[in-house]
Amino acid sequence: MKDELLKVINSGRSFGADYIDIRGERLSEASFTLKDGRVEAAKEGLQEGASVRVLVNGAWGFASVGSLETKVLIDATRKACSMAKAASLKIKEPVKLYETKSVEDRIEKRPLKNPSEISIEEKLNLLFNFNKVIFDYDARVKSCTIDYLDLSGKSYFMNSDGTYIEQDKLYVWSRILATAKEGNILTYGREEIGSTAGFEVFDEQTPEKIGTLIAKRIINQLKAKTPKGGTFPAVIGPNVVGVFVHEAFGHLAEADLTLSGSVLIDKLGKKIASDQVNIFDDGTIPGAFGSFKYDDEGVPTKKTMLIKQGVVVGLMHNRETAAKFNMEPTGNARAQNFRYEPIIRMRNTYMAPGDHTFEELLEGIKFGYYLKSFRGGQANLDGTFQVGIQEAYEIIDGELGASVRNASISGNTLEALFKVDAVGKDFELWPGRCGKGGQTAFICDGGPHVRVKEVLIGGGA
Amino acid sequence: MVEELNQESLLEIGKKAVDLALKLGADEAEAYLSYGFENTVKIERNQIIRGLHKIDQGIGVRIAHNKALGFSYTNIFDEQAIQKTVETALKSAKSSKPDENWPGFPSAKRFGNPKKVFDSRIVDLSVEELSSQASLMLDAALGYDKRVFVTDGEMDALFLIHAIVNSNDIEVAGKGTAISCYAATLARENSEVTPICFDYDVSRSYEINPEKVGLNASKMAVSALKAKKIETGNYSAVFTEVSLYLLLYYTLMAAIKADAVQREQSALKGKIGQKVASEVLTIYDDGLFEGGLFTSRFDGEGVPTQKTVLIENGMLRNYLYDCYTASKDKVESTGNAQRGLLTAYLSTPKLEATNFVIEKGTKSNEELLNEIENGVLIGYLQGAHSSNPASGEFSVVATPAWKIENGEIAYSIKGAMLAGNIYDLLLNVSAVGREYRQMDHLVSPWVRTENLKVVGQ
Repeated sequence: MKDELLKVINSGRSFGADYIDIRGERLSEASFTLKDGRVEAAKEGLQEGASVRVLVNGAWGFASVGSLETKVLIDATRKACSMAKAASLKIKEPVKLYETKSVEDRIEKRPLKNPSEISIEEKLNLLFNFNKVIFDYDARVKSCTIDYLDLSGKSYFMNSDGTYIEQDKLYVWSRILATAKEGNILTYGREEIGSTAGFEVFDEQTPEKIGTLIAKRIINQLKAKTPKGGTFPAVIGPNVVGVFVHEAFGHLAEADLTLSGSVLIDKLGKKIASDQVNIFDDGTIPGAFGSFKYDDEGVPTKKTMLIKQGVVVGLMHNRETAAKFNMEPTGNARAQNFRYEPIIRMRNTYMAPGDHTFEELLEGIKFGYYLKSFRGGQANLDGTFQVGIQEAYEIIDGELGASVRNASISGNTLEALFKVDAVGKDFELWPGRCGKGGQTAFICDGGPHVRVKEVLIGGGA
Repeated sequence: MVEELNQESLLEIGKKAVDLALKLGADEAEAYLSYGFENTVKIERNQIIRGLHKIDQGIGVRIAHNKALGFSYTNIFDEQAIQKTVETALKSAKSSKPDENWPGFPSAKRFGNPKKVFDSRIVDLSVEELSSQASLMLDAALGYDKRVFVTDGEMDALFLIHAIVNSNDIEVAGKGTAISCYAATLARENSEVTPICFDYDVSRSYEINPEKVGLNASKMAVSALKAKKIETGNYSAVFTEVSLYLLLYYTLMAAIKADAVQREQSALKGKIGQKVASEVLTIYDDGLFEGGLFTSRFDGEGVPTQKTVLIENGMLRNYLYDCYTASKDKVESTGNAQRGLLTAYLSTPKLEATNFVIEKGTKSNEELLNEIENGVLIGYLQGAHSSNPASGEFSVVATPAWKIENGEIAYSIKGAMLAGNIYDLLLNVSAVGREYRQMDHLVSPWVRTENLKVVGQ
């Protein structure tokens, strides 16, 4: 492969490229959907393809094709160069890349349980077990949808700076979704499981453990009340802290979005959170859903500190933004697959633990909410965030009270992080998927339990 | 490059795959093929900075064997790869579990002839022309006001051919084009930054106005400056087609699928013939809507697309069906099995709206606003995907949004949350505008609703 890719790199120079990289992939995938115990279709597929990325006259050109043949890739390179030329006509600030050390490396995955060696029957049995645990929990459970995906393959990366990397890819993922009904009340809950280690993730995230978690949640929610709208003190669980850190802070600290006008643009070196807040984006955690060795620009991944004792100390970079900020690239350039350009994405993003117990966090709250598990979240560059909550409880006089459904929290990141007044000593990391620019990335987020002095709760109707 | 593929050559490959599957012992077989390309010119931070070309082709094979389904795909169009794909699909079907309710693949029917879905000018559009159109949009946005910053934007041209062949004599292909652009902006003044604002245009024919898009995006950003907080209370609210789409997609458009209804995941279960929305609302799904983004002659299972009335003057009339859910309810599929665009071959069909049309009313957008004493105009929603699709409950942030006082836009609003249930909101709709725009699956004018709970900070 290396020699063939080198021919393509050389062709790029002859078409006028100042920089060129190629990313080839061979991917095999298995996926299933189980709806109330019915298998929709057992799916398995193979694909291969590559993308070529070039810089010509300071503008990017990109072409993707469903082939790894050298002749096709050389054609794609010509096309990418003509795309770059057309885009460069009115360029004001040409793209520059941060110089990185060239690397040659081969990364192999050695899973304990390789999903591609596990039979369809065994995979389906796992899903049937999830289904059974959830339906057996209570007769008011009405539906259960389980998606499963495993993806394995190899990627080949070469650039004109002399880097060549072969890397195994391995992802195992499942999402379990269930609903319950009593009278007119319909509840809904979900969890995801994800790993880059192997199929062994299901030995830990078992059907009993995750299935019961979801079933219990949707049954409890049947009796839940909707929250009062307004501003209240809250204790936030690791799962919600994670999505908050990811959505409300993480996206703003992706350097492309920082440059595009996120509220962090003038905050490097400034305090935006209380002293207890330390935040990392870490691609090095073994087996975590957002971990990998090299990013899709051939830069090694890292553990990147973003907030230290409340002060913004880092951003997440690709080579282009690293050059703009004159900071080291952090290895955050990721592409969903060969069809897409690498863009700045998070990996495993979390708030570091502190030293309080859960009970200490609840102490002293006369009336507030415990926000345990999220349903979704989103933020805007101006720092406005929203996180929808699928499991919440009232806190009354420092004790957990009634279940609450359909809550969500909102506010502005720059104000909210200052309101963190105590950080728990526990820690959890949750897998998830993140959408940006039409691409999906596998990530984790998490943290400890955290108390905030106040947060806006969007009430139920 | 892969040699140019056309409708005939895709059908030919599909027929071979289906024949091979039957020869290998499959009970039934289906091949879905797609070929296409997409050119995009992208704007980032006030300048055009990249050009992208994507080409994709492939075949997805579904095989039914003893009432169990297997599926496999490949993007490699040689005989060996296709043979392997057919074999894998068959093997998967054999390893899977039978489904007693499996109705079989559909049989051939007559297809409609949708208008305005293909324009050769889009196929032939040069990258230079695409780039200069993007430039017009950018200049219009930047020329409007110097407080405006264009965070990103793009100009995109897409060409697709889809084809489907199955062992029940379905053999149909079609081609389509689309061109689209958007500009996302924010405005900055002193220490204030507005939320992202955007405008867009999209068409199946080469008829879009990028200059207008750039200008509108900038106007919106400037009008979002000087935002104030709002008092918690119940207000009249006007939703644009963008904010309405975000709200409906995760609630009504999920709940009206027969799959959700049959599986007790829908508040619309058992409500056919009952009032579920205000009488001013008539909603239909129309896979043949002229120039619609999801208009096509056939759906992802080879069923002819059609117009299906879902809500008529507030009364629930029908759900959306694919073949499987239709057979369960002993009705016909409404042609709502969807497969995707450039990568349609990678996935099995999914029940989804085509063009979800809210029938237009008589009022102009100005009139919708003019009749409001105390209300809000909602440009975009954050967090709509965290709504509860089963119950229809939502709790979202409206940003950007504007306060309306005595019929006029008074000022922009900061951080207001909207909470409620989609069915209450639909019952409270008081007026529908007369200007259609398509936002993804939704074709809708602006819509006004009353008594919506807004939570201020």
